[in-house]
Amino acid sequence: MTMVEYFSFLPYGKYAFYVWLAYGISALTVITLFINAKRNHKRAILSLKNKFSINQ
Amino acid sequence: MWKWIQRQASPKVFYGTCSRLIPWFFWPFISLLLVGLYWSLVVSPADYQQGDGYRIIFIHVPSAILSMMIYAIMAIAGGIGLIWQIKMAEVVAKVSAPIGAAFTIIALTSGAVWGKPMWGAWWVWDARLTSELILLFLYLAYMSLNSAFDNPRTAAKSSSILAIVGLINLPIIHYSVKWWNTLHQGYSVGTGGLKDPDMQIALAIMFLASIFLYALLVSIKARTEVLIREQNSRWVKEEVSGVVL
Repeated sequence: MTMVEYFSFLPYGKYAFYVWLAYGISALTVITLFINAKRNHKRAILSLKNKFSINQ
Repeated sequence: MWKWIQRQASPKVFYGTCSRLIPWFFWPFISLLLVGLYWSLVVSPADYQQGDGYRIIFIHVPSAILSMMIYAIMAIAGGIGLIWQIKMAEVVAKVSAPIGAAFTIIALTSGAVWGKPMWGAWWVWDARLTSELILLFLYLAYMSLNSAFDNPRTAAKSSSILAIVGLINLPIIHYSVKWWNTLHQGYSVGTGGLKDPDMQIALAIMFLASIFLYALLVSIKARTEVLIREQNSRWVKEEVSGVVL
């Protein structure tokens, strides 16, 4: 059984595997970007907080 | 308006503007995305030739347009940084690069996933695909050149020149489907490629959502970059100590 047949129970039948794969990859990329941006901001603030408390 | 733009050259003002704009980008993005996805996956009818497989177009086309638009923004912002020495333009250019690279990756992978059932191949060395792949390499080159310098001003100078030289690739990508008669089809927007009104609305909403996503990510990333660059100034110290994590 190929992947295409396996996923054909989803909406869009014989194209289900391809459509959901494309949307899945895109969603994953966007979520990664978003979480990464948020985490980097938090890290920067933490390291600056550290730096300022040492200097005081 | 011009006064307002001029004031954004100050890191402190720019930081504040980004912070204020984030909710104004986030909520429109989420609502447009939900409506857009509903319109793309439910409302739009199946295509008479491609069945439901064509639905990949609703992420492929917006991300491909954005990948080129972001590159243009990055090169122009880099140019503004070079000519008028505006540091905040350098920040916008720098933080745009990874976002643009991500949109390029989405455009390439969604295209490949569509190509498999429709063309019978994940990848072909077609003019459009190859020039878009070069765009990805340009983004990666920009990012690695920018991170190769310790001084952010020097980094911005050299990488901006690279970005501006790379602008030549944008018209090549855009006109590639006209200049070379290879596999990738012609324009889908504005030329009657996509005729169904529901399909056009879905595509327009997804495109708007992508623009808000880009603006949102730029404002989040620019804040981080401004904090790091201006870490020796007093306002950053006050700002950081005021944040409760």
